[in-house]
Amino acid sequence: MLKNALLTLLALTIAIGLGGGSVWYTLDAQSGGGAIRIGPWTAFPDIGTLDADPYSQARVARQGALTLGRAEGLSFVADADSSGEGLRRECSYTIEGGFPTARFWTLHVADLALESIASGRPHQAALHSYEILRQSDNSAVITVAPNAAAGNWLPVNGSGPLRFMLNFYDTPIAASTGLSDVKLPAIVKSGCNG
Amino acid sequence: MGKLLHAIIIGLIGAAIIHIVVLLLVPEFSERDAWSNLSMKADFYTMTRLDTEPGSPAPIKSIDPLFAAAACRFDLNDGMVQVTAPGSAPFWSVSVYDRNGHNIYSFNDRSATSGQMDAVVLTPAQMIEMRKALPEGFEGSIFVEAPIEEGIVVLRAFVPDESWRPAVTKFLSQSSCDLQQF
Repeated sequence: MLKNALLTLLALTIAIGLGGGSVWYTLDAQSGGGAIRIGPWTAFPDIGTLDADPYSQARVARQGALTLGRAEGLSFVADADSSGEGLRRECSYTIEGGFPTARFWTLHVADLALESIASGRPHQAALHSYEILRQSDNSAVITVAPNAAAGNWLPVNGSGPLRFMLNFYDTPIAASTGLSDVKLPAIVKSGCNG
Repeated sequence: MGKLLHAIIIGLIGAAIIHIVVLLLVPEFSERDAWSNLSMKADFYTMTRLDTEPGSPAPIKSIDPLFAAAACRFDLNDGMVQVTAPGSAPFWSVSVYDRNGHNIYSFNDRSATSGQMDAVVLTPAQMIEMRKALPEGFEGSIFVEAPIEEGIVVLRAFVPDESWRPAVTKFLSQSSCDLQQF
């Protein structure tokens, strides 16, 4: 009798623990249904629309976010550099390459919950395409580092995991057909503190 | 041993069922979705700034620190809603969401007549009434037909740098969200 009760308890624990935990895990991961990966960057073009899959819908409801519409723009998130290593706030990175067509784009640093990180300086921890210095081939090199750097500098501070958020506004790539041959810049780690 | 295996298999099947059920119930039972957060902040037809001063949490998570935004809730059962904002910003965009935060329609400043932000959200039935005779005051409006009842309109404006902030703040603070009757 006790054995049966224990087995029932085991089945229930597996069901509730694994079932609930797996939902929790998939909603936090930057992957899953509807995701489009381009190099280290991930976008969910359908997120927040009625066409979105149940995972995207749950993600939106849980974050309480109102996502960008198709005519507004498209957001990309990076949680790892181009070699697949997770991004850290105590490290320096170089974001290098060309950007797809858009009226303008913005780049900022965020924490695990995708809240933007304050730089703690007068210089905001965000850059946009109107203020970027470009190479002769129209590509850009952006240094993400705790200490000021020449050229395009995006300040970070503190320690812990880091996310890069790259938003394109008024862009043809927001239409799903435009995403097939989009190239996004590479993220290369250049060093770490401590 | 066989019974233990039996219990584990039942547990795994149960886990799959619970995974699906929880996933589908998350949007239904979410208490911190955009609508709930906004309703704690302001009543219907009130433009509320979504980017608050540092310290107090924003009612709706900002997508971009270089943007300022304002939102209002509406109910099309009461009538149609007109959202206007005088002046301009370097870039602005508008999204209409249903009660669950699904994006129904969006447009940006390139769609607007002479760059002026003036939009009317209405149901298809109200649009038919509107087509019969266009009342005064709607000549330059963008009409957004939305097959919804309750919803949220969000106006976002780009702040390229701090020198633009006063102008964009003025643009958003002068924006209005009004219930319109025929």
